[in-house]
Amino acid sequence: MPISRNKLQGVRVLSGMKQKQQRYEALVHAFHADIYRYAYYLAKDKSIAEDIAQETFLRAWRSLDALKDEKAAKAWLITIVRRENARRFEKKQLDIVEYDEAAIVDETCFADSTVQQNEVHRLLAGLTLEYREPLILQLIFGYSGEEIAAQLNLNKNTVMTRLFRARNQLKDTLVKTPEVRGHQNG
Amino acid sequence: MDELEFRRRIYADPDTLDPEVIKAAEADPDKQAFRDHIRQMNNELKQAAKIPVPEGLAHKLIWQQATDDFNARRKTQRWYTALAASIALVIGVMSTLWLVQRPPSLETQALAHVTHLNQELPENRYSVNIEQVNAKLASFGGRLVSTLGNIQVANFCHLQSVRSLHLILDTEQGPMSVFILPSEKANQAPEQFGNNNFQGTRFDLQRASILVVGDKNADLNPLSERVRKSIRFSA
Repeated sequence: MPISRNKLQGVRVLSGMKQKQQRYEALVHAFHADIYRYAYYLAKDKSIAEDIAQETFLRAWRSLDALKDEKAAKAWLITIVRRENARRFEKKQLDIVEYDEAAIVDETCFADSTVQQNEVHRLLAGLTLEYREPLILQLIFGYSGEEIAAQLNLNKNTVMTRLFRARNQLKDTLVKTPEVRGHQNG
Repeated sequence: MDELEFRRRIYADPDTLDPEVIKAAEADPDKQAFRDHIRQMNNELKQAAKIPVPEGLAHKLIWQQATDDFNARRKTQRWYTALAASIALVIGVMSTLWLVQRPPSLETQALAHVTHLNQELPENRYSVNIEQVNAKLASFGGRLVSTLGNIQVANFCHLQSVRSLHLILDTEQGPMSVFILPSEKANQAPEQFGNNNFQGTRFDLQRASILVVGDKNADLNPLSERVRKSIRFSA
């Protein structure tokens, strides 16, 4: 069948583009929610988290050919999110003002969650970043200690200690909070 | 496994499948209760961590990629267009320069000069004295040792961007032109040349090339001989 060489190449390029497009869409559907959540817990701001997610997937698209193994996609995306989040601080290093981190948490956007969940969410966001980040990786992505250590470039024991302390803090607060309220009422 | 180690491990990963931890929990109801408690807390944390995602985020991400791709391709196309335009411009400029810089040959320009100067000649008819001619000849390292004839015009002019001295003489055969040029610039010109109205001859005189141009029917030899005799060039 006489098909011109150019036409054949054109078809091949087109199908290559289509394949890349499909790969990208699969990536978006599989990870966009968790990437957004992760970005939220890094930035603690809904709209910044959305910006980070957009920037992350845009960069992922542009260098999608560099991703050889689909199994590595999660770690790859998380690396991009962390870099994008860090870039945010480089960009506006001058206008950063010190806030009490826990106070910034925007609770109004979770109006549809239960009160209990809002409380837990507030506590999670209130942890310092060094405890918050490994815990979120475990809670959202189901990462093991080794995987967190590899992702954050930390020693595994350090990661285990931070996870332990993070949960310990949360447990103390979760248990204490009603007691404190009780005292106030009594 | 002691109590503290057990708690550390459960805290670090409540869902751990480590057989040591599971065995320890099965052996001790208190440990089991602690594990259950922490796992329940962890499930709450997992639920709380799953904050709602903005509606249509996935579509937005796919849409922005499509736009980015479109822009990137348009940018590449723009780049190609700019490149093609640049190449076309360079080719245009080069060929124009090539055409412009291939002026008519030296002898053709000499003939053209003669044609046009002959038209102006009647209006400014006056004789140039030998000193004035010598002053101009000096730039070619030459001088007149005897009279050349009735010189009406002595002007520098450029033939193919070579500076030459153009003398117009009134002879018995009508006006004739003598061009004096540096030999190294003019020795490529043919020895005989002409067009419908004029003819010319070229010969070398020491360091100079001389063109003698006259009417088509004129005899150029008498003037050529006079030039050979009258102009001396310093070595």
